[in-house]
Amino acid sequence: MPLYPDYPIATDRLTLRPFTRGDVDAVYAYRRREDVARYLFDVALSREECALAVQQRIGQVALEGDGDKIILAVDLTKTGSVVGEVSLILRSADARQAEVGWIFDPEYQGQGYATEAATAILDLAFGAGDIHRVAARCDTRNDASWRLMERLGMRREAHFREHALFKGAWDEEYIYAMLRREWLGRESSFSAPLRAGP
Amino acid sequence: MTSLILPIQTDRLTLRTFERSDIEGLMAYHALPSVQRYVFSRTRDRSEVPDALNVMRGHVSLQRPGDTLTLAAVRRGDQALIGHVALHWSDATAGQGEVRFVVNPVHAGQGYAGEALGALFDLAFDHFRIHRVFARSDGRNHHSIKLMQQLGMRLEAHYREHALFQGEWDEELHFAILDREWQRSTKVKDLPVRNRVA
Ligand SMILES: CC(C)(COP(=O)(O)OP(=O)(O)OC[C@H]1O[C@@H](n2cnc3c(N)ncnc32)[C@H](O)[C@@H]1OP(=O)(O)O)[C@@H](O)C(=O)NCCC(=O)NCCS
Repeated sequence: MPLYPDYPIATDRLTLRPFTRGDVDAVYAYRRREDVARYLFDVALSREECALAVQQRIGQVALEGDGDKIILAVDLTKTGSVVGEVSLILRSADARQAEVGWIFDPEYQGQGYATEAATAILDLAFGAGDIHRVAARCDTRNDASWRLMERLGMRREAHFREHALFKGAWDEEYIYAMLRREWLGRESSFSAPLRAGP
Repeated sequence: MTSLILPIQTDRLTLRTFERSDIEGLMAYHALPSVQRYVFSRTRDRSEVPDALNVMRGHVSLQRPGDTLTLAAVRRGDQALIGHVALHWSDATAGQGEVRFVVNPVHAGQGYAGEALGALFDLAFDHFRIHRVFARSDGRNHHSIKLMQQLGMRLEAHYREHALFQGEWDEELHFAILDREWQRSTKVKDLPVRNRVA
């Protein structure tokens, strides 16, 4: 802390990099979809809203104070296509707490890309970021998301029932988390290619 | 909502709003470090207890979200202040309330907290129409964990090292109960056997 990573970040198949103005169409291709927006706080976005979101993300590349976000575009290295995005939010600099998130284009789901990108962002958080605990949250119906959390080795810490309203109905939410020592001590049992941890 | 009728009588306790004359009774426990973890009005030491009392004397009802109702629990026989319970209206649209409670350690282990909380839950669900009541607890506070389970609350979250409290990693549990789960008045309004119609 503070965290100013060197970009791009390369994994076996993927390149994680800051957003640029040229990404609007690629982002619109997945953020416009109802199936993608279903469990996100946002509804499906218009092209204008995507342009605005991309504009915002261009500057979200470092963590210094509480609430700062790193949001990175994830490219398939071989083709250069954007397959999704991953985020890391600093919740508390004092207690070294952060939160991760992910949104992937359904055209590219089911191939372990989200796992591979999330692994890189956790390496960043627990490595250079020296974060103590990383959490992630999702709707309990979002199977793809909580299964990803479990693949990463995160533990389910919370299951909230009807604790809030979400898109007009009672919300049910999972929170998963992982401590730095758990990340560093994990067995790389899943098939996602890993770069050596710090 | 009809107007709130206080005090509330339980088997052994009277629950009423705080009064100026409670200062001595409050001094006996409110500033204890073991108690500070659980109160809404924090104090650093005994010199701050009068301010805390002033704040709590103002906690007389829930008019708008953000308000807190704090009730002194007084033993019916000798009018000794044994602790207090509080209900904080944290969210109006989703009907969420948080409870906190403290018992002067001198009076611990006699079921007073459960008795007071049972009455507070009745109030939360029946009078204030709260949808979900939750309570937080230190992961090491086995008394309070047992108590919440006895009240029928579900463990919804177990956070590990998610924050720093007084310089140490915190472990926090969240318990919750929904209006439809609350077994009304089992502890509180059960008539003594002799009053039951045979
Ligand atoms: C959540 C989300 C990112 C998960 O995407 P995903 O494609 O399921 O995740 P991955 O890329 O890690 O792929 C995992 C799947 O690929 C398979 N896979 C194939 N090759 C793999 C590899 N090399 N490594 C790991 N998994 C691999 C896995 O078996 C798994 O399939 P399964 O779910 O049928 O078991 C995606 O569903 C999404 O973007 N949803 C919409 C937005 C959203 O809800 N975001 C989260 C909000 S909390």
